Amino acid sequence: MTEDEPPARDARADGGDAGDGDRTDVEAGEDVERTDVDAGEMPSWSESAASRIVTASAKERVFISVAAFVASVLVGSVLVYVSGFLVDCPGGGFLGSCYNPFLVYYYLFVDPFIGGFNVALVMKESVLLLFTGLSVAVAFRAGLFNIGSQGQLVLGALATALALIFVAPYAPGGVLGSLVLVPFALFVGAAVGGLYGAIPGALKAYADANEVITTIMLNFVATNLVFFLISAYFQDPESGSVQTVAIPEAARLRPIVPFFEGAQFSVVALALGLGLVGGTFYVLANTAFGFDLRTSGLQAAAADYAGVDSNKLVVSSMTLSGALAGVGGAVYVMMVMARYRTGIPSLGFDGITVSILAGNNPLGVAPAALLFGVMKAGSLSIDFSLGVPKQLVGVLRGLVILFVAMPEFFRMLARYTPYGPDVDRAVATDGGDDDG
Amino acid sequence: MVERNAYVAGAAGGAVVVLALFVFAFVVPVDWVVALVAQLDTGLLSAALRLSVPIAFAALGGIFAEKSGVINIGLEGLLIASAFTSIAVAWALEGRVAPTAAAWGGFGAAVLASTLLAGLFAVVTIRYEADQIIAGLAVWLVALGFAPFASQIIWQSVNSPAVPTLDNWVVPVLVNVPVLGPAVFDSNPTVYLMLVAVPVSWYLLNRTAFGRWVRASGENPKALDTAGVNVTRVRYASVLLSGVFSGVGGAGLALGQVGQFIGSGQTMVSGRGWIGITAYLMGNYNPIGAFLSSFLFAGLNALQFRVQQIAELNIAPSLVQMVPFVAVIVVLALVGKTRIPEAAGEGYESGDD
Repeated sequence: MTEDEPPARDARADGGDAGDGDRTDVEAGEDVERTDVDAGEMPSWSESAASRIVTASAKERVFISVAAFVASVLVGSVLVYVSGFLVDCPGGGFLGSCYNPFLVYYYLFVDPFIGGFNVALVMKESVLLLFTGLSVAVAFRAGLFNIGSQGQLVLGALATALALIFVAPYAPGGVLGSLVLVPFALFVGAAVGGLYGAIPGALKAYADANEVITTIMLNFVATNLVFFLISAYFQDPESGSVQTVAIPEAARLRPIVPFFEGAQFSVVALALGLGLVGGTFYVLANTAFGFDLRTSGLQAAAADYAGVDSNKLVVSSMTLSGALAGVGGAVYVMMVMARYRTGIPSLGFDGITVSILAGNNPLGVAPAALLFGVMKAGSLSIDFSLGVPKQLVGVLRGLVILFVAMPEFFRMLARYTPYGPDVDRAVATDGGDDDG
Repeated sequence: MVERNAYVAGAAGGAVVVLALFVFAFVVPVDWVVALVAQLDTGLLSAALRLSVPIAFAALGGIFAEKSGVINIGLEGLLIASAFTSIAVAWALEGRVAPTAAAWGGFGAAVLASTLLAGLFAVVTIRYEADQIIAGLAVWLVALGFAPFASQIIWQSVNSPAVPTLDNWVVPVLVNVPVLGPAVFDSNPTVYLMLVAVPVSWYLLNRTAFGRWVRASGENPKALDTAGVNVTRVRYASVLLSGVFSGVGGAGLALGQVGQFIGSGQTMVSGRGWIGITAYLMGNYNPIGAFLSSFLFAGLNALQFRVQQIAELNIAPSLVQMVPFVAVIVVLALVGKTRIPEAAGEGYESGDD
């Protein structure tokens, strides 16, 4: 990928590469970070964290993400191989283990593309990850850790389901109904998710409450609140599990394309997700709000100095982040469940991995969501076909983040290969240039 | 500055209690209050102490790590890893050795596992200069993913069967002291460990050379380096210590209270590591303060369990279960920004390699 580049070439030199989507933020990142090293002010948890990841050059980020992904899959397969010694298998195994790691690769990454059903499954998982991935990424770019996408998605989903059930008797059916109900549902999901995201934002801005902890606590609150609301007021009387009644038929997101017939996947949702990817990228890259948001993420003091109301910005970025997660919840209800049922998969936590894999760049979220979606779909087939627990994907989710967090590790590895991108960057702290 | 924070933390704790009393006294009907007050007995005190164990140990560990300059927000993950390991090992030993030996074997293995994971975190953050927050999240998510995966491998279910647990130790004479006796001196071994670890940690941090190094390594690593102390080594020791403490906490939760591993959702640890972080922030990095804050959260949790069982209150359990989490949010908002160590979150490279 980078072998034709001289290793010592500075990242900024190739800032003009065509098609290099995040050129603008690379520039912004470089300049602000350089001066930030010795700011001597009280370090805040998130500022230090966000700046370091954001400031890697685009090329380096892609390299790190790919390397981290490969490394975690390698570690994961060793884990699977070792686990194979602990289980009993009738039909022999692979080098003493019940699990063959090569078959695991096959089922994780090849099998998901074979057959319409599998492809639809991949698309379903990937589409859902677009929303939470974007949600985490937006907060991250503002220097905030939104670990609460899960809770925002859960509440957005419940609100969507309830709103749809409530308006069902008054809504028209058919295509007209869909045209009215789907946007309405998305709006409700975004509004409720956004409001729930605004809470930790306001707590951070006006009470200095650490958002990592408040968002995690709010996840627990959301889970309990949803359980309470449904079991006390909105329980489907005909069901044993805790769930609402079905949403109106016109609000279902259907596959539309015959190839995906019968799957829990909708081209409309895909288009919506990709539209939000583009929209979020545009807002971050080309609007005043996006510029303020990115500047705050890189160096809050500089943004303050430039006249940004940092409190308001924290609240609005968390609201936007929550709204994106809430839209994800609405899509989940309309595309997958057709009702709200407790036990929503951990899309919010997956979103953290997707965002980090994407270098927190909205455009990167699309390929990262696809990669992770393939893996999630593949985890079902390793469970079904090989008996390897599908929880493996949870391990990989964490490992990816661990490896992305240590770019220094890959830089060291890179020193021993001719392919290392920008090897000398680590020592190139030549103070503040101003080529931006 | 330190005193101001102590006041703020104290006021925050007080405010929570007052707020709770206010809610109960004015919003809640009288018979509820009567039923609630009836719950405040030695049994509740004893339960609160027991529930403090994982939170307080996580908090103690977090203090050492962060004081040395490494923010360890992976405490939740360390608790998950140790809770799982303790149960898995106790389960494997069951039947081969005496039940007590099996439980202690699980305990030892849990501390080892948590320390190893903390060691990995230390290498990643100190050697490879990973971002501490992201690496901490990774430790959490790795443990959150790994424990249910391994449960599924071992037990074909994310939950384990019941295993031998650590039995209570009764202190002969002291147990007859009114109130305190039955509440404290008929307790799980891990509760005694906690009651010892808290003052020892305070002494270690504030009255020994090691404690000075830890604090200097977080406030001004360059000065410590100049004085001839290896900053990297101090940070490794502190992070490993946070692993040891969290290991005791996780094993205390699993073997001292629950007796099995529960891997669904957020696992049985269910946020206790995060609450531990809040506890030491509220206690302003003071081990005693951190313990008192842990005790406050654990007390709320113990009360919450009780309230679910009072028939005349008839509150939905899911509603009551929210209380400790909401309390954490309220406390964080009241405590506000704490003064974290100057160099926390930053890697340190000595000039002379």
